[in-house]
Amino acid sequence: MILHIPDGFIPLWQCAIYYVIALTFLFFAFRWSRNNLNEKNIPLMAVLAAGIFAIMSMNIPIPFGSSGHMVGAAMVAIIFMSPWAGVICIAMVLMVQALFFGDGGVTTYGANVINMGVIGSFVGFYMWQALKHPRLGGLLNLGKYWSVGVAAWIAIFLAACMAAVEMWLGGTFPLGLGLLYMGGYHVMIGIFEAIITVIVVFTLHRVRPDLLAWNSKKNKDDFDLSTGPQESEEAPSK
Amino acid sequence: MNRSTKGVVIGGVAVALIIAILSPYIASTNPDGLGATAEHLNPALMKDNDFVNPGYWHAPFNNYEIWQIGGKLGGILALVLGLFIVMGVALGVSEIIKRKKRSEEAKIIDAKRSDA
Repeated sequence: MILHIPDGFIPLWQCAIYYVIALTFLFFAFRWSRNNLNEKNIPLMAVLAAGIFAIMSMNIPIPFGSSGHMVGAAMVAIIFMSPWAGVICIAMVLMVQALFFGDGGVTTYGANVINMGVIGSFVGFYMWQALKHPRLGGLLNLGKYWSVGVAAWIAIFLAACMAAVEMWLGGTFPLGLGLLYMGGYHVMIGIFEAIITVIVVFTLHRVRPDLLAWNSKKNKDDFDLSTGPQESEEAPSK
Repeated sequence: MNRSTKGVVIGGVAVALIIAILSPYIASTNPDGLGATAEHLNPALMKDNDFVNPGYWHAPFNNYEIWQIGGKLGGILALVLGLFIVMGVALGVSEIIKRKKRSEEAKIIDAKRSDA
C-alpha cells in the first residue's frame, strides 16, 4: 500500500530542495502555534491529528480501479482559521506515517509536507476565504458549508497536481499525462474530502461552536455564520 | 483540559478508533491515486520494491503491520497504535511550544524588572 510519495520516486537532490521549502513553512507554522495554541485548542489539534491519521488509512474505492483517502489539511486550516494550523497538523501525521509505518518516504517527507500540508492548507483556507468573500461568495451564493466543501475539494485537487509536477521534475511521470491521471483521480477523491470536511465542521459548529476559530470574537465579524457570506456594506472583509 | 474539552477529545478518539477498527475490513485494496498513476505511467517503478525499504530506514510497522501479527488484527493494532502515537506527538510538540513561549515571556518580564 502506498499512500504518499515513497522513497525513490524523486531524486535525492530534489528531495533536499523540498525539505528546505517544507522546513521554512514549518518554522512559520511553529511560530503560529506558539502564539495561538492554548489549553483549549491543543486537545482539538491532537484529536484532529489522530482522526486524520485514522481516516487516511481508509481508502475508498473510486472509478477506474483506483482508490483515495482524505488529507484533512483544509479542514484543520478552516477550523483554526489559519493555514499554518493545517501545515503543522499534517506535518506531524506525515512524520509518524513515514517513520513508523513506511507510508511516504523519509527522503520524500518534505515533498509530502509541501503537497498535502502546505498546498492543502493554503489552497483550502484561501479558497474558502475567497468563496465567503462578499464579492465572489455573493456572486456564487454558495453558502457556508458549500464554501467549505468546495475549498476542500479544490485543495486536494491542486495538491495532487503539485505532486504530478514534482514527479515530472523528478523524471518519474510525463507532465501532461501525470497531471491528467493525478488530477483526474483526485477530482473524484476530492468529493470524499469535501463531504468529510463539511461533516466535521458542521458537527463541531453544532456541538462545540466555541472551538471553531471563526466563532471567536476576533474572527466573528469576518463571517456571520447565521447568514453566510455578507454583502460588503454589511460586513466589510478585513 | 476542562470537562467539556474532554468530551470532544473522548468523542474524537472514539470516532478515530472506530475508523481504525473498520478500516482493514472496508478500505479499498485498489492502489490510491498516486499508485494508480504510477502503474499507468511508470510500471517499472512500481515493480521495484526498493522504495518500500530503502535500506537506510526501516519503519517498525511497515505497511501497517505489527510484530508479525498478520491479517486484519495486525492492521487494526497498527492503526490503533499509530493513532495514539500521533496524539502523543501532537500533545508533545504543543507542550514544547508552550514551554518555550512561557520561558520567553519570563525572560521579557525579568528584563523589564531589571530595567525598572
